[in-house]
Amino acid sequence: MKNYFEEIGLWPRSHGIARAYVVGFVLSLLLTFVAYGLVTEDALPQQLLIAAIVAAAALQFVVQVYCFLHLGIDRSSRQRLFVLSFAALIITILVSGSLWIMFNLNGRMMPDTAQQEQYMNDQVGF
Amino acid sequence: MTNEFEQGGTLSVDERAKDSTVVFGFWMYLMTDLVLFASLFAVFAVLRGPEFGGGSIQDIFSLPYVLLETIALLTSSFTCGLALLSAREGSVRGTILWLSTTLVLGAVFVGMEVSEFSRLIAQGFGPSQNGFLSSYFTLVGTHGTHVAIGLLWMLALIVAIARKGLSRGNMRKLALFSLFWHFLDIVWIFIFTIVYLTGGSL
Repeated sequence: MKNYFEEIGLWPRSHGIARAYVVGFVLSLLLTFVAYGLVTEDALPQQLLIAAIVAAAALQFVVQVYCFLHLGIDRSSRQRLFVLSFAALIITILVSGSLWIMFNLNGRMMPDTAQQEQYMNDQVGF
Repeated sequence: MTNEFEQGGTLSVDERAKDSTVVFGFWMYLMTDLVLFASLFAVFAVLRGPEFGGGSIQDIFSLPYVLLETIALLTSSFTCGLALLSAREGSVRGTILWLSTTLVLGAVFVGMEVSEFSRLIAQGFGPSQNGFLSSYFTLVGTHGTHVAIGLLWMLALIVAIARKGLSRGNMRKLALFSLFWHFLDIVWIFIFTIVYLTGGSL
C-alpha cells in the first residue's frame, strides 16, 4: 500500500508531503499568534483590526486547505476544487444574504407606531 | 499531464476507481457540512448584536484559554498528517503512535471546551440566557460534537489498524478520517476568529 494515498487522489504527489505538513503547521501557528497578538495588544484602530484578523483567518484557511487537505490546482484536485467552489458560492449567498436582510430590518419597518396603526386599521383582518 | 500513479500501482484499476470515488463522496459530505457551519455562523452574526444583555462578551471568555484550545486542535491536525506519513512508510507502530497523539490532543480540546461550557452555565451564561448565548452554544457545540465523534472514529481506527494492520480498507478509513479532522481544524479557525477574537470589538 506504498502509494495508496497518491493512487486514490488524496495526495497530488509523493514528494514534499512531509514538508507541506510542517510548513502548514508553522504558518498556521504563526498566523494564529499574529491575530491573537493584534487583539490582545490592541495596537490597531478597530476597523483595521477586524480587517487584519479576518485576513489572517482567510490566509490560514488557504494554508490549511493547500498544506493539510492537499488541494491544489493539479488534476487530481480538480473535482474536489469544483465542489469546494460551489460550497463557497452557496455560503456567500447564505451568509451575505442573511446579514443583508437582518441588518436592514429597521429600514424596512413602518416609521412610527401611529403609521403602523393606521396601516393595520386600513387592512381587513388585522 | 499524466499522473505518475496512473499506471502500475498497488491497486487494480477497479480498486482505484472505487476508493477514489469514496474519497470524493466523503468530500461532498464535508462540503455540505461546511454549509451547515456557515448557516450557524450567519445565525451567530445576526444574534450577537447590541441587545446582548449579560455583560460584555469579553468578560465571559478567557482568550488565553481559547488560544490553548486552538493550539491543541492545530497540533492534533498536524500529528494526524504525521500518522498518514507513517502509514505511507508502512509503519503500523508509527501510525498508531501518531493517531494516539492526535486522540489525546483532540480529547484535551473537547475536555477544555466542556469545562468552559460548564463554567459559563454555572456563572449564569447558559444557552437559554439570550440570543447571543444560544447561537454561541449552538455553533461551538456543533463543532465540539463533530470533534467528539472524530475521537470515537479515531479510537475505532486505532483498534482496526492494531488488529489488521495497514490493509487497503484501513488505509481508506485513514484517508477519510484525515480529511474529516483537517476539516474540523479549518472550521475552528473561523470560530476562533469570528467568535472569540472579534467577540468584543464588533
